[in-house]
Amino acid sequence: MSTTTVNQTDCPEVKVPVTLFFTIGVVSLAENLLVVVSVILNRNLHSPMFCFICSLAAFNTMASLTKTWETLMIVLANVGQLEKKGSSEMKLDDVMDSLLCMCFVGSISSFLAIAVDRYITIFHALRYHNIMTMQRTKAILGVIWITCGVLAVLMVWFFQSKFIMICFVAFFVVSLAIICFFYFYMFMLARIHAGKIAALPSSSGGKFGRQRWRGSSMRGALTLTILFGAFVVCWTPFFLHLILIMVCPMNPYCECYRSLFELHVVLMMSHAAIDPAIYAFRSAELRHTFRKMLLCSDCKQRS
Amino acid sequence: MSDFHNRSQTNARRSDYVWQYEYYDDEEPVSFEGLKAHRYSIVIGFWVGLAVFVIFMFFVLTLLTKTGAPHQENPDSAEKRHRPGSCLVDIVSPQDENDKAFSRPLLAESRTYFHFYINEEDQGKQKPEEERVRKHSGARAQRGGQGVGSSGVDEMEEEVEEAAEHKPINGLMEESNTDRESAFFSHFNIPNFVNLEHSSTLGDDDLLYEPSAILERQSHSHDAHCDIH
Repeated sequence: MSTTTVNQTDCPEVKVPVTLFFTIGVVSLAENLLVVVSVILNRNLHSPMFCFICSLAAFNTMASLTKTWETLMIVLANVGQLEKKGSSEMKLDDVMDSLLCMCFVGSISSFLAIAVDRYITIFHALRYHNIMTMQRTKAILGVIWITCGVLAVLMVWFFQSKFIMICFVAFFVVSLAIICFFYFYMFMLARIHAGKIAALPSSSGGKFGRQRWRGSSMRGALTLTILFGAFVVCWTPFFLHLILIMVCPMNPYCECYRSLFELHVVLMMSHAAIDPAIYAFRSAELRHTFRKMLLCSDCKQRS
Repeated sequence: MSDFHNRSQTNARRSDYVWQYEYYDDEEPVSFEGLKAHRYSIVIGFWVGLAVFVIFMFFVLTLLTKTGAPHQENPDSAEKRHRPGSCLVDIVSPQDENDKAFSRPLLAESRTYFHFYINEEDQGKQKPEEERVRKHSGARAQRGGQGVGSSGVDEMEEEVEEAAEHKPINGLMEESNTDRESAFFSHFNIPNFVNLEHSSTLGDDDLLYEPSAILERQSHSHDAHCDIH
């Protein structure tokens, strides 16, 4: 490794303004906190589906909080209030990293859980209530949270080991594949059924029904694209960053990609901010609860 | 200096791992001599690839919806005729005499989605999914105050509203398959079709502000439907 301290890099790090971090962090924190509080307060939302959405929102809340706090620490460090290499700061940095790691793994696990829940709802609807009882839901959530905590601590302690990073990336890719499979399978089945319906010869509204079928399936396609596309667009850059660290640490092309690290982190944070819009706010009941909460601040009882 | 160098080496390794905090400190002295391609080629290639993937996925999905049109089979579709009693909307007037078990919960379930499936109960040969969904709705209904809702109800609600708005749906109601049709329209909005959050708020008129229009329309059509039989 070169001992020169002159950095001849043509790819300077792209610095994202601190205000952007703070804005996204605060917005994301507010939204997700709102989701968590609404789900907890409203008894109608105590169902497996909303428990998973609440867990996702909780992870996002924690991630936003941690990221905002870290940004604050960095600002203070840059200003000179904090020492960058102090032992307490390093420990604090480790804690924040492990929290962030926990939140990332947790939100991916929550996506998985939501996809599995929807899958069971569609394909095992008969036995849904036997398969997905509230006890099981709580157990699943407990397992997710504990696993994420343990994994986070392990990841941060052993981060020098490439094995951990490989596991992390592999976890992401496997989750992506599973989520993709579930949603596409559901989509295909719905399409086939809708096609059969539209094929009915004798219905007077057959042609009309076909048009509406297309309209609705367009919307289904759009929803699926948004759901999956947002996940992929927001999470993949960061994981490619991890892969490039392992694969080509000294390559100048990889260096140029890695210089955009902060942008990728911003993307991940913005995914935490748009998650409520994709998952939680689509539910009318939840929106209704928000309205009640925001307009009537002391309506703590039944929303 | 060696300490600094060792530390900088460690930090250089760690700086990429420790997200953000030490990243500012050291930059790896990577040589940029003799680059053949543009230095941001990985970045550009990655984003172009990602955009192509997402757009491709969207086009595949929409193409599936367009070309997945009418199969001519469905041999058991002709056998699936509703018995007269299977009225579309049991919400406002639970006249589903075929199944008393559903009548009360359907009052609770103000969502009109699963009533389509409920009408299928009398058919011998059903697709397993329909059965499941039907019983599912029944089971869910029996749970009373539990909402199984999912996110993304809106699309389904819109679907049902559309279904209610269009006149032909009245004619469609007379056949079981058309009930399934509308159900599958709602069903089609992938992550959004499971919604029973309204189910638990019987009597909570707040929640009926959305479906109220639907209910009115469908109750009319329901009455018409029931009258026909």
